[in-house]
Amino acid sequence: MSELIATLVVLTLIKATPIIYAALGGVISERSGVINIGLEGMMAAGAFFAVVASFATHSPLLGLLAGIGAGALFGYLLAFAATRFKVDQIVAGTGINLICAGGAAYGLVVIFNQPGASVQVASLGHAFWILIVLAFALAATMQWVLYRTPWGLRIRACGENPSAVVSAGLNPLALRVYAVVISGALAGLGGAFLSIGELNLYSDGMTAGRGFIALAAVIFGRWHPLAATAACVVFGFFEALQFVLQGQISWLPANAMQALPYIAALVALAGVTGRVRAPAADGVPF
Amino acid sequence: MAGEPVLSLRGIRKAFPGVVAVDGVDLDLFPGEIHALVGENGAGKSTLSAIAFGELQPDEGTVSARGTVGLVHQHFELIGRLRVWQNVLLGREPHRGWRIDEVAARERVVAVAQRNGLEIDPDAFVETLPIGVQQRVELLRELDRDPAVLLLDEPTAALAPAEIESFFATIVQLAARGTAIMIVTHKLQEVTAYATRVTVMRHGKVVERTLIGETSIDAIARAMVGGELPAVARRATTQMKPGLRVRDLRAGSGATRLHDFYLDVRGGEIVGIAGVEGNGQSTLADALAGMIDYKGTIERTGTIGIIPQDRQREALVMNWSLVENTLLGRQHRKEACRGLELDRGRARTEALAIRERLDIRAASVDMPVRTLSGGNQQKLVVGRALIDRPDFVLAYNPTRGIDVGAAALVQSRIMEARNHGAAVLLISFELDEILTLADAVIVMYRGAVLGSFGREAFDRAAIGRLMAGSA
Amino acid sequence: MTRATRMIAGPLGAVVLILVLMSLAMIAAGTSPVDGFTALFVGALGGRNQIGETLVATTALLFPALGICLAFRAGLFNIGAEGQLLIGGLCAGALGAVLTVPGPIGIVLMLIAGAIGGGAWGAIAGWMKARFGANEIIATLMLNFVAAYFALELVSGPLKGPLAAGAETAWLDPKYWLPTLLPATRLSIALLLAVALALVLQWTFSRTVFGYDLRASGEAPEAARRSGINLARLTWLALTLSGAIAGVGGATIVSGELHRFNTQLSPGYGFTAIAVALVGDLQPLWICIAAFGFGILESGGLAMQASAQVPKDAIHVIEGLIIFVLAARRYVATRVEGTLP
Repeated sequence: MSELIATLVVLTLIKATPIIYAALGGVISERSGVINIGLEGMMAAGAFFAVVASFATHSPLLGLLAGIGAGALFGYLLAFAATRFKVDQIVAGTGINLICAGGAAYGLVVIFNQPGASVQVASLGHAFWILIVLAFALAATMQWVLYRTPWGLRIRACGENPSAVVSAGLNPLALRVYAVVISGALAGLGGAFLSIGELNLYSDGMTAGRGFIALAAVIFGRWHPLAATAACVVFGFFEALQFVLQGQISWLPANAMQALPYIAALVALAGVTGRVRAPAADGVPF
Repeated sequence: MAGEPVLSLRGIRKAFPGVVAVDGVDLDLFPGEIHALVGENGAGKSTLSAIAFGELQPDEGTVSARGTVGLVHQHFELIGRLRVWQNVLLGREPHRGWRIDEVAARERVVAVAQRNGLEIDPDAFVETLPIGVQQRVELLRELDRDPAVLLLDEPTAALAPAEIESFFATIVQLAARGTAIMIVTHKLQEVTAYATRVTVMRHGKVVERTLIGETSIDAIARAMVGGELPAVARRATTQMKPGLRVRDLRAGSGATRLHDFYLDVRGGEIVGIAGVEGNGQSTLADALAGMIDYKGTIERTGTIGIIPQDRQREALVMNWSLVENTLLGRQHRKEACRGLELDRGRARTEALAIRERLDIRAASVDMPVRTLSGGNQQKLVVGRALIDRPDFVLAYNPTRGIDVGAAALVQSRIMEARNHGAAVLLISFELDEILTLADAVIVMYRGAVLGSFGREAFDRAAIGRLMAGSA
Repeated sequence: MTRATRMIAGPLGAVVLILVLMSLAMIAAGTSPVDGFTALFVGALGGRNQIGETLVATTALLFPALGICLAFRAGLFNIGAEGQLLIGGLCAGALGAVLTVPGPIGIVLMLIAGAIGGGAWGAIAGWMKARFGANEIIATLMLNFVAAYFALELVSGPLKGPLAAGAETAWLDPKYWLPTLLPATRLSIALLLAVALALVLQWTFSRTVFGYDLRASGEAPEAARRSGINLARLTWLALTLSGAIAGVGGATIVSGELHRFNTQLSPGYGFTAIAVALVGDLQPLWICIAAFGFGILESGGLAMQASAQVPKDAIHVIEGLIIFVLAARRYVATRVEGTLP
């Protein structure tokens, strides 16, 4: 029994980690006033490019960096479109999701000559535990940065009233770009963890909606890094549950178990009725 | 006034789609002066001060300043969810290493406040503060930068008379210490009481520039308006039909909560609600319009026409044509539909009629409403509210932010509705407007009725005191 | 911007962009654009079979695109069309497997079942948004995944056809197949249904009170609220109808194309449909044309992959880019507080 619980705890942490990275990305982006619907795509980009780099260089570390870089790049794309062209952030994010998903599928054929999944590459192995610990450390760091440092204050100001930031002599658009690029980098890191941390390959659709579950965690956590992380752990728990309970509960079909994290996210969304106030300028082009 | 100007504007021109806001303006500000920039709504004053501050780039012309320029906006640029010290020191936060030094921040805010004779709680969340205090926060933010020039845009719009006095005491003290002050305003009494020089703008140009000692309120007013205002004809009515009866009204929450509110408006009369912004007027309007829940009695028979205070957000769909906007709020009426479909032909006729009656400058009724000027948009809203000859009219700041001509037309249409027997409730932040139009005035303070006056008993000073909360 | 500039910056610009990007993708895959486009167009329109397949894809895209368009007009972003389509198809396939009524009645019942299924799926998100202010983007996407597992579970077990080899419902009796429109192809009269639906939607938007209310709530929510429109009810209704339309689409695929239901029903039509709706500028009639264009890409893409070695996923990347570029058009009005993600 205790072995079961230990496995559950470990699996929960492993499953929660990529969602935590994405959620932290969601928090910093929305706090600055930009809705990042493209987290899913940035995760996929991170996962894919981590595998490609690892394949090319046989170095999982370079793979990790490539994943972060890919996420940051798409983050910059969104940031640029949002600040320079004042686009509809949600539609733009959706576009990024499709670009990355399609691009990865395209890349699988062009680079690995096989659709559906890549070849196996060098992965992080046991070093992936560092990334798990890092996720929680980053959550605490982000909490501190947002609420205790000048930069964090300015980011939050951008998300509430960018005009006030202008009045203070700062440039809210530049601050938003930084925030969204970091957001992409974090999502990319989460994706890299999925492909070369937990596993050692990329397969089509492996992000499986985690970028959106992360957004549900952001809302549920009221845009606070630590609270959002806690929500991610809950979602990770539901994902871990299906592995641990496989075969143990006969009346609950496997498909239902697989749907649990998504249902949990739905419940979380419904559970924050009316008491939620997003950053006031969230999603509004400035 | 000492020799060299500390702020110089030369040949400033700024145009927006459809209107030239500022048309070839020169302006100099000298240290220690209190310079009033006056003009009616739409004259270009706010645009000019935004350019002087550097927030807006002119199409032509130069701005040169010797020192920091500060601007206190008409609609504050504050962050409600942050604390006073965070708002004041944003961008200049005192820090120890990477961490903000909150203790130093608080001390600094208190110091700036004291130096200028102001009181403030540095830890309060701005959104919990009354509007007069919020303005103080914005002022402190600018003062902390030790500006050589301080621009203030309609600074007393949301202040009660007593607060206005202490505000100007601070300003006079600042000027005495050498700061150049420019106040954008349309309140001529304050101009003659406190300013040293005045510049009058009309339609984007400077039409007059004098020392205060060499002019008068009447002269300034004439320069602002450039002609006679159309008179608003009042006609006695014999309508005694009860229009609106409100008793024990409780609604809303927080600082703008209504309690024990009562009101009577008869058919054929205009009742004005006087009060400083932020004392529950929006809560009252929303409750009467059925937008929020309330406890107590609101008795009203017949139809209602509403003129909301924020036309762009609450009354119009900016991308839609005049025709489509004519239907807004009226689309569920029997007459507006033919089966499942809307009667567009009828809507079109109505739109044309409104354009005619309200003298709306629009080449076609099929153009999107956003291409119209603010005054014309408001005229459409008013025309639509009155077209069905409602029994009750709720007008909330009906002439806010529009030019003189449009304002006069709107006021006469409202008066006309009253003359034809409608019960009219006029909520306005402009006391003059209420005193011109209303048959009776109710003063609203902190969500309650503080006093009422019939037209014969209108007493500006007494009303002003009640608006400030004192008896 | 004038109307002309908007058209160029939007849909027309999108078309040009598609052509340019496709050329680049072809070059990247080692094919000349001439060869690539030839393969594409020949593959899409080169013969009766090919045209049939193109129109089949057009129809499959048109239904969800119209549903997404309706939601967009109400200021809502429905990215759950894929799931709604699936559930609609599931309901139609499950019902069709047990029907014994005459053919035409059976087909109508199946389409209604599809509408109910898809509508219910949309209604979940709609209710969550109306009641809790829950972000419909996240909700509809989560429901996509739930739909996939739900459908898979049902057709692996309780709804599995008795003679079926894999996870799918029983083959439909031919009398329940939608009549063929183009003989010797898979194209059914579903295409006509879709176009008719587009006409109905166009009429609804521009002429009816409901359409007026819907558009007002999407473009100016606060003004709409104050004009007497019940925003919560409209939100729920819009998402339900949006899902229902997608659901009918799923039902037509089951009845007209596959003749049974399995979870391979849609190769991502629900997502491509977003691009179709945007390129069609959220106007039902233009969406029909956009659907045809994307239908060419989808069916021609397969041929292009086979003969010119350009992976068809290039098309999905391009769809994403189109959506990204069209974001400049600003479709979704600023949200009312309390409903922001």
